[in-house]
Amino acid sequence: MYKPDSSAAPPALELRGLTKRYDDGTLALENFDLVVPDGAFFGLLGPNGAGKTTAISAVCNLIRVTEGEVLVFGEPITSLQARSWIGLAEQDINLDRFLTVRETLAYHGGYFGMGRDEAGQRAEEMIEAFALTSKADVRAPKLSGGQRRRLLLARALMHRPRLVILDEPTAGVDVELRRELWRYIRQLHSEGTTILLTTHYLEEAEALCEEIALIREGKLIARDSAAGLRAHYGADTLADVYVKAMEVA
Amino acid sequence: MTPTAREERIRGVGPASTAATTITGRQGMYWLARRETLRVSKLWTQTILAPVVSSLLFILVFGLSLSGRVRNVSGVPYDQFIVPGLIAMAMVQAAFTNNASTLFQARFDRYINDILSSPMHPWQMTIGFVIGGVYRGLLIGVGLLVLSVILTGISITHPAALIAVVALCLLLFASFGTVVGVYAQSWDSTSFIATIVIMPLAFVGGTFYSVSLLASPWEELTHVNPIFYMVQAMRFGLLGESDVSIWLSLGVTAALAIPAYLWAQWLFTTGRKLKA
Repeated sequence: MYKPDSSAAPPALELRGLTKRYDDGTLALENFDLVVPDGAFFGLLGPNGAGKTTAISAVCNLIRVTEGEVLVFGEPITSLQARSWIGLAEQDINLDRFLTVRETLAYHGGYFGMGRDEAGQRAEEMIEAFALTSKADVRAPKLSGGQRRRLLLARALMHRPRLVILDEPTAGVDVELRRELWRYIRQLHSEGTTILLTTHYLEEAEALCEEIALIREGKLIARDSAAGLRAHYGADTLADVYVKAMEVA
Repeated sequence: MTPTAREERIRGVGPASTAATTITGRQGMYWLARRETLRVSKLWTQTILAPVVSSLLFILVFGLSLSGRVRNVSGVPYDQFIVPGLIAMAMVQAAFTNNASTLFQARFDRYINDILSSPMHPWQMTIGFVIGGVYRGLLIGVGLLVLSVILTGISITHPAALIAVVALCLLLFASFGTVVGVYAQSWDSTSFIATIVIMPLAFVGGTFYSVSLLASPWEELTHVNPIFYMVQAMRFGLLGESDVSIWLSLGVTAALAIPAYLWAQWLFTTGRKLKA
């Protein structure tokens, strides 16, 4: 169990005793604790229904938490300041169908507190950075799958969040785009952004994450670096670790 | 493009500063309201032109063609008599439909998550959405009023009363649309209320006739219809003529608008039906 160190800077993310029971009675998370240090590249792995997306949704104010506390850089998630520090790219494409690429970015920046000039300038930077220049005035439904995925990531980074949450960002994308997204994400992390990544691709977690947490049925069952997990479970690969951890659980 | 060049291109997308800045949510509310009004403007043929043309046809068909046979109602030329009710009907339907559809669409496509996760207070989200419906209703109302002045020669008799009733009607129906958009399970749910509840109530709410001409119990029953009071207040504002007191009309409309707004506000505050 994590013991907070009051002398250190607050972690990027801290979940304390988080419990979520949905209206239909499903218990998605039960007394769930998790700490993601500032500047970490942290992976969250688990099978479908393990509670990964529920945990992320709790952090991003997208579910009604049954019990527990969420702190972002020491601030409760109920504060506007904490929410302004988070950037979220969801698993499913959830872009505003009425807005162009440029508007999608600028309006997101506005929702997160940017003024008109700042949002416009930042949107141009992101359009350039994510190679969307030729599509800047195209509405989201008319973009290709890869362009939408890039726009989703650009939107999450638009307001310069300190903690970026990527919920299966490469699910269903081809190898080339996956590698491209990896480069974006690595670059982001190298500049000091804390990353929380969920993925089903174990090689992706191994390639990107400094630390990995395995969860199943709403509970944390292991947490370490990829090498540490392999050593702990006496496994050659992260895939073997995953299988063993899930069997034990 | 080589990876090196690509990495160079994306340099700087990370956080610029960790310094705490004061976030009030005001910018977010402004941008949300702007987004809602932009949506109305982008879809102007559906959101503005269609309801204006539809109401204009009522004025032309019922007002101008029947005014030869029905010259006056309560001392007012018939083509002018029906204008306040038709403007009220078009405005409240537009405000309702706008917010019911924008909220349902946002939930359906799940881009509402971008708003719910943003640093805005729930009341700021509510106001941001309500402004969209108010804006659409106002554009339609002003457009129809201008056309009515040209076609029928109608004028504004009590501007303060007109402003008050327009504000209350739009607040009521934009809020009610927000509530329905949050609860709706399908597109049918939103259109059902517009076509099966609001439109019939508007038609039997004294738009085309004076309630004093009705026999019992229809006259009494009409007083149970909330849209009747909105039509009467609009008629008072434009023509100075009403079947009931302007204060009663404004009171009834306010008594409905305030709870409707608070209901919409409660949904955003609690996250009910918006968050799992």
